[in-house]
Amino acid sequence: MNKNNIIAFLSVFAFFGSAMYFPYTTTPVKIKYPEYWPKPVYNFEKNPLTQEGIDLGRKLFYDPILSKDSSISCSNCHLSYTAFTHVDHKLSHGINDSIGNRNSPSLMNLAWHNSFMWDGAVSHLDFQALAPISHPAEMGENINNVILKLTKSTDYVKRFYQTFKDSAITGEYLLKAISQFELTLISCNSKYDSVMRKAANFTLQEENGYQLFKKECSSCHTEPFFTNGKFENNGIPLDSVLLDYGRYNITKNPNDSLKFKVPTLRNIEFSHPYMHDGRFKNLSEVLKHYTTKVFPSKTVSKHLGNSISLSSNQKVDLTSFLLTLTDKNFLFNKKNAFPRKFYFPSTEKK
Amino acid sequence: MIGQLKILKWLFIFIFLANYSISIGQKATNDILINISTSVNTNDSLSIDKLKFYLSNFNLLKEGEIVWTEKKSYHLVDISKQKSQSFTFILLKSIEFDEVQFLLGTDSLTNTDGVMGGDLDPTKGMYWAWNSGYINFKLEGTSSPFPFEFHLGGYAPPFQTVQKIKLQTTNRNRLNIGLNITDFLNQIDLTKTHKIMSPGKEAQQLSILLSTLFSISE
Repeated sequence: MNKNNIIAFLSVFAFFGSAMYFPYTTTPVKIKYPEYWPKPVYNFEKNPLTQEGIDLGRKLFYDPILSKDSSISCSNCHLSYTAFTHVDHKLSHGINDSIGNRNSPSLMNLAWHNSFMWDGAVSHLDFQALAPISHPAEMGENINNVILKLTKSTDYVKRFYQTFKDSAITGEYLLKAISQFELTLISCNSKYDSVMRKAANFTLQEENGYQLFKKECSSCHTEPFFTNGKFENNGIPLDSVLLDYGRYNITKNPNDSLKFKVPTLRNIEFSHPYMHDGRFKNLSEVLKHYTTKVFPSKTVSKHLGNSISLSSNQKVDLTSFLLTLTDKNFLFNKKNAFPRKFYFPSTEKK
Repeated sequence: MIGQLKILKWLFIFIFLANYSISIGQKATNDILINISTSVNTNDSLSIDKLKFYLSNFNLLKEGEIVWTEKKSYHLVDISKQKSQSFTFILLKSIEFDEVQFLLGTDSLTNTDGVMGGDLDPTKGMYWAWNSGYINFKLEGTSSPFPFEFHLGGYAPPFQTVQKIKLQTTNRNRLNIGLNITDFLNQIDLTKTHKIMSPGKEAQQLSILLSTLFSISE
């Protein structure tokens, strides 16, 4: 055997050997957000973002394979162009035309949330997707069966391997991948944000609205996320059909009766209808509620007490401020939308 | 050129050896076998369909001081899976202990720290999707004529269900830990309590009862 042969022979071993240390390389991704925002509460060390993981999560998010009869994907109730909520639908829809009992919330800036769902039923983003997957009136599926279906897809097996370096698909990886995509849904480029960065100015009307907002609304809809992440009763009376007591269902604490998680106001222009059961069609109905119809009860928010007093001009000003929370960079961002190329690679423009 | 090849050759040999090297040395560890058994007298009127529970955060103690802690200490014990009922602790021979401590269930950090794999993977059927958290203990069966289902869990105050178990031992190589399910069922009035599926006061009370029914046999 000559020298070159030995070298070639050893090279082959070295190649496979080092491949054990450097299998597929993944591309790390860091989320971008304004420097004046607080640090995310999501622990990225336990689920480091990679482009491969985000792509996988995005494909899963748009794939009806997650539902029992392959008819419903996450995106059915969380549409990217409407801030990831189900526009014009009061209550979420599921398999077999079933209707849920809550209005699907918008999805954005989730790395800063430490509870999920209107009643805070879910304590961590990773576990959130389990709830709609298993709910009989949503996807009606069992996570073990989802994994079975995914294992039959060579594209998914490849993507899971590339992301997690493991030939088995597990519940942990499935949920982590969905989280990875969801964590990239960051809305921080509205007109309001530009004004905060001193790159734009409010109109006089918007500025008046902002001052009213700070006085009347911001104790619950706190900047910069426009939610304080807490549970409040905002004085909407119990729906006699749905009988939804909100946070009380989780804690069994009477002080939590009729409390729901304070939703963000970002992209509110697109996230109608409003409230946990979608009872208000538009912003003027919402303002009408807060100014005249706050229903007194034991648990009604202490920030609200009685109704807020606003003149009709002030309502217009406040609304014009709320519209500055629309972030078109977020709403129409192609990176958030249906990933055509992951499903139909051959149609991708060269 | 030849010089470069020589360097490359040694580099490859080095990587090769590094990959396949094995550590050589005297065995300085002691393997302790942990066996978990559940005693239940099934008969014509009592049958068990499902019995699964988490044991976690194992510690060994000597005179009240922790001398050894199991890393990533989560064990899902399932009576339908023989393999899940025994595991091994590997510790230095020099470590002496007279007590074992562990949790029945999972601590609150595990419940709020994001998704995990292995025995904690949500595919194991021990996670509540619509009221986040692990089911610490699951028992399903029939005590004729009553079918019963106990899914005990919940980490949020005031209804925490996780229980700390402390057992004295003199054995150095084997810990036989038993849980008496017969006593558990005997102490519940199945005519009144036969279905618990969410966190709350009842789940907490039954978890406390369970914690008193562990024993160790030499």
